[in-house]
Amino acid sequence: MAFLLRRLGFYLAAFIAAATINFFLPRLMPGDPIQIMFSSTGTELSAENLESLKLTFGFVDGPLWQQYFTYLKSIFTGDLGRSIKYFPLPVTEVLGHALIWTVGLMGTATLISFTLGTFLGILAAWRRGSVFDVVVSVGAIFATSVPAVVTSLIVLFFFGFTLNWFPTGYSADPALDPSFSLTYIGSVLYHGLLPMLTLCTVLTGGFAVTMRNNMINLLGEDYIVMARAKGLSDSRVMIWYAARNALLPTVSSLAIAIGTVLGGSLVTEVVFNYPGLGNILYQAILARDYPVIQGQLLIMTVAMLVANFIVDISYVLLDPRLRRM
Amino acid sequence: MKPLIAGLVRNRKALVGMIILLIIVLIAVAAPLLTGYNPAARVGRPHQPPSAEHWLGTTRIGQDVFARLIYGARTSLAVGFGAGLLITVLGTALGIIAGYRGGKTDEIISFFTNMVLVVPNLPLLLVLASFIGQASPMVIAIILGLTSWAWGARVTRAETLSVKQKDFVKSAEMMGEPRWRIMTFEIFPNLISIVGINFIGSVIFAIITEATLEFLGLGDPKTVSWGMMLYNAQKASALSVGAWWDILTPCFALALLGVGLSLLNFAVDEIANPRLRTGNSMKRWSSLIRSGEGRL
Repeated sequence: MAFLLRRLGFYLAAFIAAATINFFLPRLMPGDPIQIMFSSTGTELSAENLESLKLTFGFVDGPLWQQYFTYLKSIFTGDLGRSIKYFPLPVTEVLGHALIWTVGLMGTATLISFTLGTFLGILAAWRRGSVFDVVVSVGAIFATSVPAVVTSLIVLFFFGFTLNWFPTGYSADPALDPSFSLTYIGSVLYHGLLPMLTLCTVLTGGFAVTMRNNMINLLGEDYIVMARAKGLSDSRVMIWYAARNALLPTVSSLAIAIGTVLGGSLVTEVVFNYPGLGNILYQAILARDYPVIQGQLLIMTVAMLVANFIVDISYVLLDPRLRRM
Repeated sequence: MKPLIAGLVRNRKALVGMIILLIIVLIAVAAPLLTGYNPAARVGRPHQPPSAEHWLGTTRIGQDVFARLIYGARTSLAVGFGAGLLITVLGTALGIIAGYRGGKTDEIISFFTNMVLVVPNLPLLLVLASFIGQASPMVIAIILGLTSWAWGARVTRAETLSVKQKDFVKSAEMMGEPRWRIMTFEIFPNLISIVGINFIGSVIFAIITEATLEFLGLGDPKTVSWGMMLYNAQKASALSVGAWWDILTPCFALALLGVGLSLLNFAVDEIANPRLRTGNSMKRWSSLIRSGEGRL
């Protein structure tokens, strides 16, 4: 328990660090920070609206620390300002709506590729040097070293444009109204399949290699030899003696991988014109919509911290030694 | 250092990776000899398919794709190796200092390392780059270098902790060698494979991330690079108008460079960690013993 509490404290510090970057960045740039932050609004914003935006981002009369705490206060009360491109929608609403699609896409892809990658890794390590191992290892090298942008574009070109098997944009047929009907859900799955396949291609290789290398390192340990000498079946030694222990470092690498997953999912969404965070962000970058750009860093950081916390909890479940600490 | 290089020459993955990298470097260096076109100028009609005149076709505004591709290789390589070097130097230095000094120094460095690791990298870079405005490759390389050292620092620190316990470090301490000397000349040479993996990994990361940032519209439009090629092609809807050469060319170039570097990286990993090697293990083992690396 103390372990999890310590982690929570650390996550709070990390979140404040991300907020601090947001606060100081416009102030460190040459020129007037207010001008930089809100220049893309033009004259469309009324003076009153601009005032409230300035207040949210801590542009108040007073010393820097006062401005800083004003900004922190708005963030901790859930006020991330309003989007300039989608004015007057609040940033939380713009991003929150998109986040549902991203989490759905990313969560499924991570789960599938982690499970698949781990199994491939276990089998490849167990049959080290076999044809299967070579195929998995070489395939993983290719999959992990190709940028997500490139994989997405190539997949879109072949399956979307050349073969015409899949739609090339949107999360569902735009003619359909969102509902819990079978046609709508079917359309969502059909539209999501291609971006999800792409993400799985990008991610599976990394998990497979990590698991394979952890397993191989463990297979030389004495307790594996001992388990075999006792005459236990191959599958029992593989799963309950080797894989269980090799999973620990793999799970902790998952926490770091989540950052990559986020990045990969951002560009995949842009390429597939999928209405998730990535696409909103792409539009925001083109329009220099700074409240949205800053807001996504905070929301992504929270997403990353939550994911890390889930990994922490599973770590406690997997490693009995941590429960007593 | 010597067994590492000898191992690299013997390893098949390393060989293929090295050849790929060498070809790309040669093409980048010899770019002016390979094409007469200026990569930034309009030299033909828009979106022409590949022909004898334009080997890889032309872009939406009539630039020669082949010229942009081979000049763009320079940018990718420069950003990759520049940022990779910066990331590795920072990560290695911080990792060794944290691991060797221990105590308060270690606590502070480790705290910052872990913090940087949980703040998602690409969203952070997007914020930084969007405030900087149209970021040139040099600026991208510098911000990549300053924000991406954490993984290397963590791995190097862990490795330093185990090297620190070895007898030769203890004896150097007994002889009163200064701390900086122990860190640079006793510990660092024993981390060379970790540093190598970190370096190649960082180069791959930097190349991918530069292309991604530029693809997302944060690059300087005047830059000739693979990321800007992707950005311009995407903006011109190259795929939906059927101009596949415009978008697939930088795709394959990025994929090829990524694969080449990854092969090298896996090879270094295998040499550093003999258990990962596959194939005829007896033969490898005996050759290790002959080269004095293994023990009987």
